[in-house]
Amino acid sequence: MTIFKTFLKVLNKNKGIVILYSAILIFFAAFSLQNNDNSMQFEKEKPSIAIRNRDQEEGFTKEFITYLKENSEVIELEDKEEAYLDALFYRNVNTIITIPEQFGENFVAQNNPEIEVKGTNSYESELTNLMIERYLKVAKIYFTISPSEENFQKIKETVEEEIKLEMTSKLNTNELKKMATYYNFANYSILAGCVYVICLILSSFKNEKIKKRTIISSVNEIKYNRILLMGNFLFAIVLWLFYCLISIVLIGNIMFTKQGIGCILNSLLFTLCAVTLSFLISNLIQNKNAINGIVNVIALGSSFLCGAFVPTELLPEMVQKVAHLLPSYYFINNNEKITSLENWNWEHLSPILLNTIILLFFSCLFVIITNYLTKKRRKQT
Amino acid sequence: MNKVIEVEHLTKEYKKQKAVNNLSFTVQEGEILGLLGPNGSGKSTTINCILSLLKFQKGKIKIFGKEMTPSAYDIKKDIGVVFQEVAVFEELTVYENIDYFCGLYIKDRKKREQFILEAIDLVGLEHYQKFYPKQLSGGLLRRLNIACGIAHKPKLIFFDEPTVAVDPQSRNNILSGIETLRKNGATIIYTTHYMEEVEILCDRVMILDKGEMIASGTIAELKKLTNIEEKVTVEIANLKEKEQKKLKEFPNVMDVTYQNGLLIISYKKGQNNLLTLMDYLKENQINYQKIYSERPTLNDVFLELTGKELRD
Repeated sequence: MTIFKTFLKVLNKNKGIVILYSAILIFFAAFSLQNNDNSMQFEKEKPSIAIRNRDQEEGFTKEFITYLKENSEVIELEDKEEAYLDALFYRNVNTIITIPEQFGENFVAQNNPEIEVKGTNSYESELTNLMIERYLKVAKIYFTISPSEENFQKIKETVEEEIKLEMTSKLNTNELKKMATYYNFANYSILAGCVYVICLILSSFKNEKIKKRTIISSVNEIKYNRILLMGNFLFAIVLWLFYCLISIVLIGNIMFTKQGIGCILNSLLFTLCAVTLSFLISNLIQNKNAINGIVNVIALGSSFLCGAFVPTELLPEMVQKVAHLLPSYYFINNNEKITSLENWNWEHLSPILLNTIILLFFSCLFVIITNYLTKKRRKQT
Repeated sequence: MNKVIEVEHLTKEYKKQKAVNNLSFTVQEGEILGLLGPNGSGKSTTINCILSLLKFQKGKIKIFGKEMTPSAYDIKKDIGVVFQEVAVFEELTVYENIDYFCGLYIKDRKKREQFILEAIDLVGLEHYQKFYPKQLSGGLLRRLNIACGIAHKPKLIFFDEPTVAVDPQSRNNILSGIETLRKNGATIIYTTHYMEEVEILCDRVMILDKGEMIASGTIAELKKLTNIEEKVTVEIANLKEKEQKKLKEFPNVMDVTYQNGLLIISYKKGQNNLLTLMDYLKENQINYQKIYSERPTLNDVFLELTGKELRD
């Protein structure tokens, strides 16, 4: 009890810095929500294109150009190769479409004439490609059936037909995305909070001189470590509770859904893992001044590597492989899975369960390494 | 009397360098044993081995008749240690610090409160209970360090140079505190390189050098080891070499040294040596400022046994 009470006293003595640090981290987490643009409304975009027509603007060619003009923004350029290439280079246009001579005639006669398309490899130029491909495929089908000019109207009607999209998911995707963002950020906030505070408090207990006095006392060293670990858990649980409360305030009632509770439990598990990791780090470092640097390396490093700030899909393959070695990866991966979980069946729950087991494994591993190091150090003396 | 500590053939090596070499000794219940020796003589290493803070290559250590091991918690509960370096929490007050270290041994809160107040009283920190270590002077910090080590009323206490860099007031306070602990029945191992403290406190002294025991016994017994019986010191501004040679030929004189205006003459026997010297100085019109005679100290014993000063 004396050790536990002293832990709380030392924590209390450092309360100013602990509260300030925790508040800053939670503020950052809340701030991350504001930057989270999760709009689910889509609107059609018109890419910028330039058309070099070498054919007569009549018949099928005329219809094709009209279609392109209606569905994109056509930029008029001087008819010189250099002018077109410059426009493409400076992104004034995304695509240059060159229609060859007698294109219309050949197309109707099903001679498969080819148009030259140069793009910037942007998504706008891809959109233009899709647009051209769609029009020409539809036209080809009609001309295969009957090569007459009556088809022009039918082609126009077919390509202009709008596709109706309906979201079948009953999930509140926007709010769930917010939840995932907030709890992914917890990787940084909870990890940095735990590592910083626990290392700060334990630096007093692990001070070489004080430790020497403890070793010669009648307190069992393993029991002593266990009590300190309990103190660390208490602090971490308070930090976690506070983090969850803020999430309820910011994200709202959705936190009481299955997904919300899933994220809360996942973050609790991660908090326990963060405590064991912090305990291990506090056993390794001797210098109080090194704490800030270690927080940055551990919390920021794992957050970047494991996709707390940037989705993992955008990270290089090598980085993704390295991320698999860190507990943060499984925590963030679980957040993503939980927030997109619609069917609560074994098939969908088993990967979440697997991640949970891996997180528990990491926690046990950190405790075992800490005990091993403590024993090894005692033996070395 | 019971043997509180039994050390047999203790040998501790650091990379084949012997820090303690085949050391054997016993400490009786209620006595204060002084461990004397210069820096690096093996005093702290011996204590750390006894406390199982260091592993040793050879030897056997028993405390209260039982073999001492790192997990001998039943032995550890009756041991108190005051290290040379101050080991306290910066975040806790004087009272809280003593409470923490005492709490590692004493679970009962009321008993602990009483013990803490007694420890505070013993080291004279009554007015500083709510002070933080940063607010204390070096001497007061040392006293707090002692209170943390002895608050649980151990039967065996180790003091590792507790008065290093301490002001005279705190030093006297510490020494009288140790005297009180002895009166209360504690067995004490006291390491220092201040001979005066050893002469005041210790019942028995063990002199260590290069990890080996070079002498052991009561202070009187140790002083018998030296041939010197009297030492006369004279403050003389300028003494010619010719005069020094003449003094060496005086009866009973063992050694004459003259350094920094101090003439020290060591005598084998101690009868009328001072008077004879004063007469000689007067006859030869050698002016001096102060002259005094003293019995040989432990430093003289150490000097004669090892050829060097304790504080070298």
